[in-house]
Amino acid sequence: MTDSCVLAERGSDWSVDVQIGGVGDNGTWLLAGPPPKGTGETLVEHLKRLGPSDRWLSPSALRAVVRDSGLRGRGGGGFPLARKLETALLAPGEPILIVNASESEPASRKDATLCLHRPHLVLDGAAMAAAIIGSTEVVIYMHQGSTDVYGALQRALAERQAAQLADPVWRMLMGPGRYVAGEASAIANRLEGGEALPSFSPHPMAFRGPSGRPTVVNNCETVAQLALLVRMGTVAWRNGGTPSSPGPQLLTLVGAVADSEIVVEVVGSATVGQVLGHVGVCAPPGAVLVGGYAGTWLKGGLAWCTPLDRAALERVGASPGCGLVGVLPHGACGLSETAHLVSYLAGESAGQCGPCAHGLPALARHMEAIARGSYRQRSQVRLRSLGDAIFGAGACAHPDGVVRLIRSAFEAFDEDVQHHLDHRRCPGSKNPPTFFVPKPRRRS
Amino acid sequence: MKSEMIVLVRINPIRCRGHAICVLLFSEGIELDRWGYGRVTEATAKDRRSIRRAYRAAAACPNGAVEVVQLDSTGAQQPPLKPPLRIVHEQ
Repeated sequence: MTDSCVLAERGSDWSVDVQIGGVGDNGTWLLAGPPPKGTGETLVEHLKRLGPSDRWLSPSALRAVVRDSGLRGRGGGGFPLARKLETALLAPGEPILIVNASESEPASRKDATLCLHRPHLVLDGAAMAAAIIGSTEVVIYMHQGSTDVYGALQRALAERQAAQLADPVWRMLMGPGRYVAGEASAIANRLEGGEALPSFSPHPMAFRGPSGRPTVVNNCETVAQLALLVRMGTVAWRNGGTPSSPGPQLLTLVGAVADSEIVVEVVGSATVGQVLGHVGVCAPPGAVLVGGYAGTWLKGGLAWCTPLDRAALERVGASPGCGLVGVLPHGACGLSETAHLVSYLAGESAGQCGPCAHGLPALARHMEAIARGSYRQRSQVRLRSLGDAIFGAGACAHPDGVVRLIRSAFEAFDEDVQHHLDHRRCPGSKNPPTFFVPKPRRRS
Repeated sequence: MKSEMIVLVRINPIRCRGHAICVLLFSEGIELDRWGYGRVTEATAKDRRSIRRAYRAAAACPNGAVEVVQLDSTGAQQPPLKPPLRIVHEQ
C-alpha cells in the first residue's frame, strides 16, 4: 500500500487532519512502525519506537487515564472500558481479565492484523488492564483455527519472557471457530471448562462471571488502544478521533473494494467516503454495511457523507460495531445479499433460546423468499411481526443483530423491495454474493 | 417495609423449554410467544397477590427458568428470597 493519504478536509476544527493508512504507513498511530513482514514487530523494535510501557504509572493513575480517555470497547458493543474496569473493582473476588483475539466476525481482520504485526502493543495493553483491576493472570482467547495469530502471540510472549518484563501470567485459551463463540459470556464459559456458548445472567459479567469472580472481557484492539493511550496521554490520544469516538479507529474494508479484506487505521474524523476514497473507490457505492454482518445497511449516498463517529452513525441508525465497512456495488441485489447473510447468521445460532433457534431460520426463509421473488406485501408484515417477536428475546444479542440487519435492509433497499414486488426479482439477484461467509457447519 | 420492595420477574430464555406452567400461574406478567416460550410482559409484581403468584410460577418451573428477585428502594438486590410456601402461610 502506498503512503497514507492526508486529506485536507477536516471534520471539525477540533480534530487533527485526517490520516488513513495500513500497517506501517505514515500518519497511523496503532499500526505505525515497521512495514508488514513475515513476523510481527519484535520487542526490541517495539520498545525502541514507543519507549517502555509506563510501568511507573500506578494502577490508580492508569485508572484515571482510562476514565478521562472515554475509551470504548472495539469488539462491537462499544461499552466504556472505564465502567467495565470500575465494576470489576467494586465487585467481590479477584477479577479475571480475558483478551478476546478470536474475531468471530467472519470478514473482520483488524484484530488479526494487530496481533500479527503489533503483538506487543496488545500485550502491553493487556498487562495494563490487568494492573488496573489487580489480576495476576491474563487469558488470551482465540479460535482454534487461527494458527497465525497463535504463532505471532507465542513468539511475542517468548520475547517478553526472555526480556524478563514485569508481566502478568499469560494463558492461551482456544475456542471453536464459530460466530457466537466470541461472545463475552461464551468465552467465560469456555474458560470454566464448559462449552463456548453464551449464557444468561442478570449480573453484568464484570460484576460476576460464570466462575463467580468478576470477569472482564476486552477486545484486543481495545487493550492495544489502552497501551497507546497511556504512552500518548489522554488529550493527544483523544484528538485521534471525535468527541463521541475518541482515539484512532481500525476498520476492515470488505466487499467490492478489493479481492480480500483491507485493514486501515483512521486517525481523525473521516467520513465513509474519505476512507473508501483511500482504497480507490471514487464514487458512492450502491450500499454500505456498517458495523459487522449483524450491522446496519446504509444507502451508498448517505453512507458516503456520514462520518465514522458514534454520534453521527447513531443519527442514521447505525453504530461503529466491530469496525467493518462492507461495500455493495451498484447493480447488486441488497435483498439477496441480506438473505445470504441472514441464512449464515441463522446457522450460527447456538440454538439455546427458543426464539433464536426457531425464529432465525424462519427469518432466513422469509428473506430468501423475498430475494427469490415469491414475495407479497403480506409477507413483509409477517416478517416484521416475526422480527418483533425475536428482538430482545434471546440471552445474548445475536438474534437482535439479525433483526436489526433485516430492518435496516428494508430501509436501505426500499427501491429493491418495490422492484421485487413489481417484477418478482431484480437482475442483480442472479450475481454471486459479494460478502464472504464461512461454509455452514453441521449441527452437532 | 414491604411496600418499598420491588419484586421483579424474569425468564432465562436458555432454560425455558416451553412447559407454560408459569403462564397458568402468573398470567398477569407472563404470556406465551408464538413458539410457546414464556415471555415477560409485566416484570414487576405489584400487589401481594401477584407477588405470591410470581413465586409460585418460579417454584413450579421444571427447568428453573423463572426467576423472582426482590429489590429494595435503592435498587440493591435482597439476597434471601422468601420461598413461596411461606408467603402463602403468612396470610
